[in-house]
Amino acid sequence: MSEGNLQTALLECKNLLVGYNSALETMKIPFDFSLASGTVVALMGENGCGKSSLLKTFAVLLKPVAGSVSLEGKSLTEWAPRERAQEISLVRMSSAVPPRMSVSEFVRLGRSPYSGIFDSRTDEDNRIVNESMALLDVADFANRPIAELSDGERSRVFLAEAVAQQVKILLLDEPNAFLDIPRSHALFRLLKKIAVERKMGVVVSTHSVEYAERYCDKIMVVNGGTVKVAAATDARKAGLLDWTETFE
Amino acid sequence: MRRLLIGFVALAVLIVLLCVATLCFGAVSIPFSSVVQALFSPGADISSNILWNLRIPRMIAAVLAGASLAVSGLSLQTVFRNPLAGPFVLGISSGASLGVALALLAGIGFGSVGVLGSAALGALLVTLVVMFAATRFAQTGVLLIVGLLTGYFIDSIVSVLIAGNSSESLRVYVAWGMGSFGRVTLGDVWMFVIAVVVGMALIGVSLRYLNAALLGDDFAHGLGLNVKRSKICVLLGASLLAGATTAFCGPVAFIGIAVPHLAYLLFKTTNHRVLLPGAALCGVALALLGGLFPASVPLNAVLSLVGVPVIMWVLVRGSGARF
Repeated sequence: MSEGNLQTALLECKNLLVGYNSALETMKIPFDFSLASGTVVALMGENGCGKSSLLKTFAVLLKPVAGSVSLEGKSLTEWAPRERAQEISLVRMSSAVPPRMSVSEFVRLGRSPYSGIFDSRTDEDNRIVNESMALLDVADFANRPIAELSDGERSRVFLAEAVAQQVKILLLDEPNAFLDIPRSHALFRLLKKIAVERKMGVVVSTHSVEYAERYCDKIMVVNGGTVKVAAATDARKAGLLDWTETFE
Repeated sequence: MRRLLIGFVALAVLIVLLCVATLCFGAVSIPFSSVVQALFSPGADISSNILWNLRIPRMIAAVLAGASLAVSGLSLQTVFRNPLAGPFVLGISSGASLGVALALLAGIGFGSVGVLGSAALGALLVTLVVMFAATRFAQTGVLLIVGLLTGYFIDSIVSVLIAGNSSESLRVYVAWGMGSFGRVTLGDVWMFVIAVVVGMALIGVSLRYLNAALLGDDFAHGLGLNVKRSKICVLLGASLLAGATTAFCGPVAFIGIAVPHLAYLLFKTTNHRVLLPGAALCGVALALLGGLFPASVPLNAVLSLVGVPVIMWVLVRGSGARF
């Protein structure tokens, strides 16, 4: 038995087709995919290929055109929304931020799936929020409005919110789009670290082949309506990255 | 935490003082001792009469209206993610105006339910239209436009009705349109109270949604919220609060749009656990202050005259705050 089989599958797709409606599918060939705990999967492909649609489908913002997605053995749609929010989180860097909200107020929202009807926070919640802000190195500007931060700082704040949510599955839509090179390296190292330490599964869409090959366990490529997955070390040999150099 | 404590205590003290002032001052000044006596052992004297028939109802109306409009405005600004939103934007006040105009000016058989009932019916009608739009369009911007357009449409109907009228009923309509806290009586105040309690409850149970809604509906969905249901809950609550206030006090402008900003500048937080009660108290204080002016001055004029400089000053002082 290989090591991969020993890891529990957090997210499992069977015969999945993703897109905005059945007539104009983004993808043509159904695919199977399984996200194991402790792994980071890089999601790659050209702009408009369906990376974001795929992430949205995992986050239940989009219905699958066909096939099924299950979370810890139970179909995604069968989960109660609040319990699902404790398991899975999609972080999008393009979210419009309210001008007055401070960094700590935003990170505190990550505890919302655990709060009561009046949205209060316990000491435990506050501890987790502080820990998340420390982990993402945003504690220094905890009281500043998010709107005043640089794009890179904001990316880390978004990530801190998802970490505070204590999910098992972290979905990230181009988190390094606004980050400089050292911070991008740090981000991917951190993703790998929290995936292993917290037994999380991470799917991160990125345009950077370098980070994908260096820091991720698997590479998932959406190209020409098909989805292919390979171990990061084999992806290049298997021809999964050929599309990156053949733009006409 | 200290900011919250100071803010809430200061507002509470201010409100108590304004309540006392509301009871003591008016066309006839009643000394504080007489007020206390009339409050706890009402007799047949003039002081008791004025207090129980005029000033206490007016005070209650101001408190309910101020809190309602502020909470309604704050929740609408949050849901629409627009600092300019307010009860007027949804066309609710216009709806109430239509009800009153139809009853008074067009003589449509609303006579039996009175001005109050007509206003409530009109507000409800517009609320239903906006609700329908809310379930059809996901984009809050569209909803905002639907509300504004409905408001314009109704205002036009009212203008046409006014054009064909030159009677006593027109005078009553115009007086209603000025806004006043002086029309509520102790006999019918319970209806106002019920509407406000239900409206506040609908918004209160949506606290988690309001805090997340600042980041948009997809984000709220990601936090495990039922966005559609919560949004309808908040809109219904906001409509109820604004509709009831308009029915009982006429169209009262300004509080709904301005007070949420005042509350933010005072408490410096976007957390609705603090902002909702904070805005409610600010609204109560402003409404009581506006209600202190002689009844001959239109309430809306007073509120804007008193409120605009106050809020401008606070905005300039807290210039770090942006929209």
